[in-house]
Amino acid sequence: MTTISTTQIVPASERKLKNHTSIAQTVSNSLVMAYRGLVKFRRTPEQFFDVTLQPILFTVMFTFLFGGALAGDIKGYLPTIIPGVLAQTVITASVVTGVQLREDMDKGVFDRFRSLPIARIAPLAGALTADTLRYAIATTITFLTGFAIGWRPEGGFLGLVLAGLLIVAVAWAISWIFAFFGVIARTASSVQGISFMVLFPLTFLSNAYVDTSTMPNWLRWFADVNPVSHVITAMRALVASQPVGADVWWTLLGAAVVVLVFAPLTVRAYMRKA
Amino acid sequence: MSHFFADTAALTGRSLKHITRSLDTIITTALMPIAFLLLFVYVFGGAIQTGSHTSYVNYLLPGILLITVATGISYTAFRLFLDLKGGTFERFQSMPITRSSVLWAHVLTSLVANVVSIAVVVLVGVLIGFRTAAGIGGWLAVAGILLLFTLALTWVAVIPGLTAKSADGTSAFSYPLIFLPFISSAFVPTASMPGPVRWFAEYQPVTSIVDSIRALFAGSSVGGDLWIALGWMVGILVVAYAFAQLAYRRRIA
Repeated sequence: MTTISTTQIVPASERKLKNHTSIAQTVSNSLVMAYRGLVKFRRTPEQFFDVTLQPILFTVMFTFLFGGALAGDIKGYLPTIIPGVLAQTVITASVVTGVQLREDMDKGVFDRFRSLPIARIAPLAGALTADTLRYAIATTITFLTGFAIGWRPEGGFLGLVLAGLLIVAVAWAISWIFAFFGVIARTASSVQGISFMVLFPLTFLSNAYVDTSTMPNWLRWFADVNPVSHVITAMRALVASQPVGADVWWTLLGAAVVVLVFAPLTVRAYMRKA
Repeated sequence: MSHFFADTAALTGRSLKHITRSLDTIITTALMPIAFLLLFVYVFGGAIQTGSHTSYVNYLLPGILLITVATGISYTAFRLFLDLKGGTFERFQSMPITRSSVLWAHVLTSLVANVVSIAVVVLVGVLIGFRTAAGIGGWLAVAGILLLFTLALTWVAVIPGLTAKSADGTSAFSYPLIFLPFISSAFVPTASMPGPVRWFAEYQPVTSIVDSIRALFAGSSVGGDLWIALGWMVGILVVAYAFAQLAYRRRIA
């Protein structure tokens, strides 16, 4: 007579299950998800077009076609255009976070993540972390393009690094806004549409390409209060080795406020969906 | 010959019906040039030194009108592609109609649609301060140049309309045409550009066309620019027409 060994099933109420993750595990999971984002970039290099081609095209086009008419000569226009193009490129690139988040959610990838024993916030945090690489690439390429066509900032290497860190921090902060849209929007194209409607006026109706004093009064008022103008002025000060003015602090404060407002909103909306 | 005109008129009527049923295409066509017009007049206009006493909107509008045409013709290629893909061309082939009238109908529809778009852009220009010293003769000359330019570019558009593999491919060809006015005297004087860029800008077709229209609007003498412009447009028209006919014959063979 053979005996059948049975496994004792422990009721769920008596089992010791972890329903939360430690900070260390959350960070670890987020970094793994960030790595996933980087692998995606490697497999689809066309995702880098906006941060590689756009800064080169805009810098070269505005400098060589309009620089002479806008500033008298090309060399004189470079200190204006380089920070302007950089701000426009990097801020526009932050939209991709929301678009890709929406695409991932539509594909059902996030449903698969939900079934894994990982921090629920990790896919969101990972995506935002991975995108900082894109901002860094855009920053480097814009500066290199500037150097190639004769730009020599007085702030030296330190000024460039500080300006680069500032714009990457700003873009990361703004990406929380688009991540929020990505979570709540119905389609990826609607995220792109909304963001374009917001960013086109914000980036062009600023001091990115011309001094606001040359604009009509009503437009000048808008351009002067436009947060993008403050970011650009702050970067110009840093790369030109000028004293750190109020614009740098306003920019950092603005970025912090955006994160403080939109990070909880995004996380809440995301947790509800995830 | 009378068959050709009758067939072309009937088919043009058909194409125009398509446009009147989707007026958003004309609005979309005019939107980008209007955006450029407003952006350059209000944001960059105060900073751009044109080297003349005229207001920047007067300087800019001729170039914007050419961009309007370049934007509009991409729809011609797209409509042609849809007709081919939908099997409409095969149905026309089985009918006792002049073969070339099918293409001419699309071309004439493009002319009508672009005239409407140009009128909308000019109206916006007038609203934001465009003023001209041109008389009736000047306006007619400008209209003639724009019609010839539209006709030439429409025949250019017919080629991708007949040969493109996808809908995206039909409009992709228009991007260089939209970009060409930027490397010309349309937005800023070529004198402000560096050597090689300036050389290209001065000898490409858009500059002579823009300068001719600008001179006509200003009521000043056009000079040799007009003949250079006409030479370019007729040349493009003849070459594009020949290639379009070749592509059409291959397509329906």
